[in-house]
Amino acid sequence: MQSLKVPRIVWVSLSPAQPTGPKAAAAAYEPIGSLSALLQGPRADVVVLDGSSELLTPALLQLRRHPDYGLSLIFFSGSADRLAEALADGPLPAESSAVIAAWRHWQERLGLFNRGRLPERFDHSLLCWLWLRPAGLIQPVCDPSNSNFYHYPLVEALAGEGSINVNSWLQQKRQENLLEAGDLLDRLRHCTACDSNRLNYVDVCPECHGLDIVRQPSLHCFVCGHVAPQQDFLRGDGLICPNCLSHMRHIGSDYDRPLENYRCRSCNAFFEDAEVDVCCIECGQRQSPDELRVREIRPFRLSETGQLSCRQGLGEDSVASQYFRQLKLMAQPGFLAALDWQIAITRRYGKPRGTSVCSVLGMRFDNLKLVLNELGEPGTIAMLDSLMERLQQVIRETDRCMRGREDVLWILLPETPTAGLHILQERLLTGLESIESSGGQKLQLRIVGCGLPDQLEKNEDAPLLLARLMGELF
Amino acid sequence: MELALDSVLDLSGLIQQLQSENGAMRLFLLLFPFFILVELPLILVVLLGVLRWKLRELTLPPKHSLYRPRVSCVITCYSEGLDVQRTLLSLCEQTYPGEIELIPVVDGAAVNQRTLEAVRAFHLDPELYPRRRLRPIAKWKRGGRVSSLNAGLSMSSGTIIMALDGDTSFDNTMVSAVVRHFEDPNVPAVAGCLRVRNTWTSFATTIQAIEYLLSIQMAKIGLSEWNVVNNVSGAFGAFRRSILEQIGGWDTHSAEDLDLTLRIKSYFGRHRRMRIPFEPRAIGHTDAPSTILGLLQQRLRWDGDLLFLYARKHSGSISPELMGWPNFIMTVVGGLFVQVILPFIIVGYTAVSMIVLPWPTLVALAVLVYTLYFLVLLLQFLLMLLLVSERPGQDVRLLPVLPLFPLAMFLIRCWSAVAILNELLRRGHEESGMAPWWVLKSATRF
Repeated sequence: MQSLKVPRIVWVSLSPAQPTGPKAAAAAYEPIGSLSALLQGPRADVVVLDGSSELLTPALLQLRRHPDYGLSLIFFSGSADRLAEALADGPLPAESSAVIAAWRHWQERLGLFNRGRLPERFDHSLLCWLWLRPAGLIQPVCDPSNSNFYHYPLVEALAGEGSINVNSWLQQKRQENLLEAGDLLDRLRHCTACDSNRLNYVDVCPECHGLDIVRQPSLHCFVCGHVAPQQDFLRGDGLICPNCLSHMRHIGSDYDRPLENYRCRSCNAFFEDAEVDVCCIECGQRQSPDELRVREIRPFRLSETGQLSCRQGLGEDSVASQYFRQLKLMAQPGFLAALDWQIAITRRYGKPRGTSVCSVLGMRFDNLKLVLNELGEPGTIAMLDSLMERLQQVIRETDRCMRGREDVLWILLPETPTAGLHILQERLLTGLESIESSGGQKLQLRIVGCGLPDQLEKNEDAPLLLARLMGELF
Repeated sequence: MELALDSVLDLSGLIQQLQSENGAMRLFLLLFPFFILVELPLILVVLLGVLRWKLRELTLPPKHSLYRPRVSCVITCYSEGLDVQRTLLSLCEQTYPGEIELIPVVDGAAVNQRTLEAVRAFHLDPELYPRRRLRPIAKWKRGGRVSSLNAGLSMSSGTIIMALDGDTSFDNTMVSAVVRHFEDPNVPAVAGCLRVRNTWTSFATTIQAIEYLLSIQMAKIGLSEWNVVNNVSGAFGAFRRSILEQIGGWDTHSAEDLDLTLRIKSYFGRHRRMRIPFEPRAIGHTDAPSTILGLLQQRLRWDGDLLFLYARKHSGSISPELMGWPNFIMTVVGGLFVQVILPFIIVGYTAVSMIVLPWPTLVALAVLVYTLYFLVLLLQFLLMLLLVSERPGQDVRLLPVLPLFPLAMFLIRCWSAVAILNELLRRGHEESGMAPWWVLKSATRF
């Protein structure tokens, strides 16, 4: 019934004397004279900021830091700089109906986030911010006054007072596969000693690495072929070849410049190309450009795994984890050790061919995302519930399970020959068939099985076997 | 053999005339009145001047000066294409230790994309040429040479302004050789020496190469010694900025170079010490028209413009009070008479001779005249090689073509008459290709 609720949309005039936005648009929303009035009053659902870009940016920073408005939809009505664009939800849509629709969508997704729980920690807040905006991006903004040149104002604002290392945090989330990087925007190089990027690139002598090098053009006399530095040819106002004493009057017909070498004034070395050294302005460290640390500047968005996690629950509380836990789940190292042990046993005490003693079964939800999108969470959860019931029925006390990727489940079935494996597969598939779905979409399961030691390749161990079976699952 | 020769040359008739009382003198006076009255004195003035210059060159110690004003080179470009880069490079290569500002002005840049691209593609390496600055001007709308020069002048910052052609490249001592003259405050302009770059492209260019050597390089040295340089060439001239600003820059109409020279010379009567030197060591290499048709078209413009300037535009300023006597005489004799009237006399003489004289006599006379002109030419050429030329080894290769030179000059003189008639009757200067018609149409009519 939430969708029937009318959001409270406020129009905050940052400079009341000079409204920059269209007056007609302002009239459609509840006017508020200042930002402080908004923060002191009851919480608004959607905020529209009206003011010049100089006023807009600090106001946006203040709002994103505020616990009530960190995740809220905030539009601006005038022009905005890149910093403001990275913090806000864009310019105000022309129609108020579009604002209401955007808020409804936002509200709906907020209900789905982390299985209905509001974010409490900073990292959940940021993931939630992205989750609430399907096209949302954590945008880097270039700021010459910042020591890193680029910063992520949204992350900084949501992190609030608790200072975190934004770059490390983003990398960590990327490694956790919750965030994925967008298009490369820039590439910075940092000092290996102090990580500063205030670097000076200087051309230096390759022999002594001295700074004082000069270009020394040479001339080539066409009459006698003599080649020497230019100053050897200068006589008074003109150029005269020191070798044949002929006048060199016109470039192209009397002489040319065959080479332009450098000379080091410190060590007198004569060289073709100068080397480039990088000198860190902060710590004075000298290094070659190849040694520098390279940092890529990219925007970040929620990855597919991140979206799934936001929907199914973050951390240990995810839907899948909750369901899969009922299946005597083992951690990956333990499962692999058990599988290796089973492989070793079957290899040593294996019975004649055709009589497998142990089996491995892999299953993958082929269209979990699709089902989630179509049926929404409640429908999917109902389907998963039914599936887990079936699985629990078929899994014996002695079986062990492991989750590979988000949507892959491995089951180790000791003392199960290949025939038993087939029966199990059929049961699972028929069980899946019988699961009722409220919409047209049915959960599809891909199953792959392997009887040990018959279907074991030579020299195959547990990781190799799983990798091979994984290939068959996709 | 002798008979046959007699029948062709009618030598006996000539010999008879020469044998009569005062015969030789009569014949000579009959045949060469203008040679004796006009051309010989002019040649003598030049030769004496050259000798004086050479003596001075050999005896005076070399002068070192710290006078190094900023020089702005305004390079008028039109359809030269990649040749402009050669000009720019040769200016970068100057050994002059002062600053040189290169201002290529591309006229009608919207149409002359190739030239504009060539200028834009030219990279001036600041490390290699530290005291050279490139400031190109794209003049999108075509306005003619004069507008390019004035645009360059207004954008330039140098004390010395050089007006240069986009298809002319320069020896690397050019700027330093020119600049040292400006140390004398009485010098408002310096004329540069032009040579033909494409000497061996065709017969027409070879003839012009000889013509440039004698009538520019050698003749102007001689004239300069007496401060009567006839013209500061449009393809290569240097001016003090203050004089250009005082006289209002270049003026519309074609032959803006001679116009500017005459306007500067108008001060010579009042400022007796003012002089326009010619610098033979400042050498520009230019492309001469390579076809006979191209050459004729060029001369139709040049010679027609002479009449326009001397007789129409500057008729009032050619006076001893304004120009001083030496320049007045030189302009009247060397300019007006030799270049405007003499072509008609030559054509008239030839026509009358062809009608009156029997052809064997005519041929004999022609051989005589040709021989005399050739001998005078040979003398001039040898003196040029010995005294003037800085590339004698290159110039001596022109000797085999020298016998044909008087003939070519005769034909060019005849064509001058056509050019002058074209100006006289058709106001040919208003058809000049040097400026678009809409500019020429609005110019003051003289």
